[in-house]
Order: sequence, then structure tokens, then C-alpha cells
Amino acid sequence: MSAPIIKINAISKSFGTFKVLDGLSMQVMPREKLALIGPSGSGKTTILRILMTLERIDSGHIQIDGEQLYHMERNGQLLPADERHLARMRQKIGMVFQLFNLFPHKSVIDNVTLAPILTKGMPRAAAEKRAMELLDMVGMADKAKAMPAQLSGGQKQRVAIARALALQPRIMLFDEVTSALDPELVEEVLNVLWRLCSETDMTMLLVTHEMGFAHDFADRVLFFDRGKIVEEGKPDEIFRNPKQERTQAFLKKIIAAGHRV
Amino acid sequence: MTQWSGYFGLILQGALVTIELTLMGSVLALIMAFLAGLGRLSRFFAIRALATAYIEFFRGTSIFVQLFWAYFVLPFVGISLTPLQAGVLALGLNVGAYGAEVVRGAIQSIGREQYEACIAVNLGRWQAMRHVILPQALLVMLPTFGNNAIELLKATAVVSLISLTDLTFQAQVVRSQTGNTLVPFTTILVIYFTLALIISWGVRSLERRMARGLDGVRV
Repeated sequence: MSAPIIKINAISKSFGTFKVLDGLSMQVMPREKLALIGPSGSGKTTILRILMTLERIDSGHIQIDGEQLYHMERNGQLLPADERHLARMRQKIGMVFQLFNLFPHKSVIDNVTLAPILTKGMPRAAAEKRAMELLDMVGMADKAKAMPAQLSGGQKQRVAIARALALQPRIMLFDEVTSALDPELVEEVLNVLWRLCSETDMTMLLVTHEMGFAHDFADRVLFFDRGKIVEEGKPDEIFRNPKQERTQAFLKKIIAAGHRV
Repeated sequence: MTQWSGYFGLILQGALVTIELTLMGSVLALIMAFLAGLGRLSRFFAIRALATAYIEFFRGTSIFVQLFWAYFVLPFVGISLTPLQAGVLALGLNVGAYGAEVVRGAIQSIGREQYEACIAVNLGRWQAMRHVILPQALLVMLPTFGNNAIELLKATAVVSLISLTDLTFQAQVVRSQTGNTLVPFTTILVIYFTLALIISWGVRSLERRMARGLDGVRV
């Protein structure tokens, strides 16, 4: 068995007096597809944001691919990571946001090529060729010249996925990527995730309220509450036969709200 | 009967000086606005302090005094400027201080999610600023920059006090030579107004061009 690609060791994070994560530890294996579920404020999105270095941790350690994320080893000592170390670590990680966060002043294809050209020194022609392949994969090749404002939410999200893929990360983080979409647009985005899941060997972490999708997609489901993992297991175990009372209550609420499980 | 054509020639020469001052002053103001505006957002305290000091000083003192200072006081420390140099310097530094706050405000108006998207695609701080934040912030700055440029145009009138032969100076020359007040001052009023119109028209068309595609309208 290979080593975990993500190793989170006793991390804590507070916003003011609110403790979002409380001594959380977890591991993710390479190629594993993980679904993070739980009530809002339970810390699941914060974990993704911490892995993407959008939030700092108050204490604890994170290792990505055997290397410290927020620390650097110098002469046997652990020092806080500097910007250069973070930039190097970020190459392994990509993220897709709930609200897409496309660059509104750039066309679809420029959104996808910007970072490869700037951060990897890719020649424009090569970056565009690769971008077209990715846009084709997410079904957006015909909109390559469009501006983000001309697209629907589902289309924007598919472009955002292509943008993240262009940097060829080993780990992809999906933060409630369908939550801001009209119901009829959810499926086109889930279909793309589904393709990524079956056709690539990226490690994927998915924060979602789409329980049906989480069930089919994930190798493992983690149920979060109040900054801790309350229960984890195979999708069938969590969704059909949850052991913890809090998991049961959460799933009941979700079903009552009309979500398919 | 007064020979008006010759006097109009004088006033047109003044208009050229005013335009020259406005253009050069605007260029300096723009440079200072970006330097000080970005300086205010620097990670380094010393740079922030320097930018803040510049902005507060030039906003907080009169442009007349700044101009007199540049022209009459600087020679005492060995820096002698021509009236044009002193005018451009005072106008550029003064309006640049106002512009710096516009730059800072516009950059800060760009949502956090854009900065986060930049981190997620691993852009460096400067790359993010240059390719993502500034292009969007520029659109926010433009209307106010237009106002500032018009303010600068009108402020050029003060340089007549250090004997620079701008519009206002020439109008006074014409008045003293002809004894007529109405004609020269009405003429320069119209010219100032026309120049201001040209600036606001230019800024507006620039704005339209930059906003293309951002509103979802297919072009």
C-alpha cells in the first residue's frame, strides 16, 4: 500500500472565538475520491480552503505528497513556509469554487491559459491547444471566445473546472461546486465531475450537498460536525446505515429537504 | 476697432500651453497615483508610510502654495525650474495624490474571490495584480480619473501666477491691452469648457471600450 498523499495531523483553526476545526486529523490516499458532508459551519469547506492555502492553520501539521505544506525543513528545523514554498506546494493542488470565480475580463480560453502561461512558462500556442482539449472535455469548446458574463452558471463552472485542470494538479478540491446553480444546470457539472472521476487518477475532495452524487462518486464519505469527523466510511455504510446519531439526524434533514440519497 | 484676430492668436497660443500642461501634468499625476496607490497597499510599513505622507501632504496643502514653493523656494536649495517644469510638477503631484486614493479604492473594490482564484491557480502577487486585479480595477478608476483630469485642466490656470503664458495669462494680457474684459474672459471660458468636454468624452469612450464583454452583451 502506498503512502497517503494528504496527511492532516491535529490541525485547529479559529475565526475569532469560533473554533471551526478542532484538532482534526485525517489522511487521503492517492487517487482516492472523498466526499465531505455535514451541516454548514461544520468545517468541511475550511479544510479545502486550508489545503489551497487560502486560510492558515493555528496549529498542527499538513503533509502533501510527503512534504510539509505550511512548514519548511531547513537544517533539520521546521520553519513557517515562505511564499516560495507555498507556491511550489500549490502546484500539486487545484480548486473549483462555489461561485466559479472566473476572471470576468478574460475570455473563456484566456481564463484557462493565463496560469499555465504565467506560472509554467508554457508557450501560448501550446497552452491554447491544451486549453481547447480541456474545454472540449467539459463541453465548452464552442464557447472558447465567449466572455464569462455570456455564460450560464453551469457553463461558468465547467470553464472553472477546465481552468483548474490546466495546471495538472494531483489533488483537486471541489467546494460546493453545484450549490449556486439552478437545479437544471446541476447535472451538466456533475457529469463533468463524473468523467474526471472515472478517467483521471487525480485525488479528489468534494464538499457537497448532493448526497446522491456523493454516494455514487466517493470511495469514502466523511461526515463533519463542529470541526470534527463524526463518522466516516464507505458511501453505503454512511448513507444506508449511519451509526452516529448526529449523522442520522443530518441525513434525515437532508432527505426532508428533498435531496435524493 | 480692436484687431481681434491678433489677440485670438495670443489666446490660442495660451490654449496650447494649457493643453501641454494638462497632458504632461496628467501623465505625472497618473504615475504618482499608481506609485502611491499601490504603495498604500504595500506589505512594507516604510512604503505605506511614505505613500501616506505624500498623499496627505499634497491633499492637505493648497496648490497655489505648492506651485509657489516649486517655483520660488526650490531655487534656494539649488533646484531652479522653468515655469513649465514647476507647473507640471505641482499639478502632477497634487492631482496624483487624489488619484492615489482612487487607485487604492479601486483595487480594494475587487472582490476577495478574485484574489482567491489567483492563489488557486498559483499566480504570484505581482502576476495577480498585473493580469487580474488591475485590469478590473482600471475600469473602476476611469470615471474618477476623468474627473481628476478635468480638475487638473482647471487648476492649470494657477500657473499664470508664475508668468507661464497659459490661457488665463493670455486673457489677462488681452484685457490689459484692449481694455475689454468680456471678450477675452468669455473666450477662455468657452475654451476651458470645450477642453473639459473633450476629456470627459474621451474617458467615456475609453470606459465603453474597456467594459466591452463584461456585461454579458455579445459583441
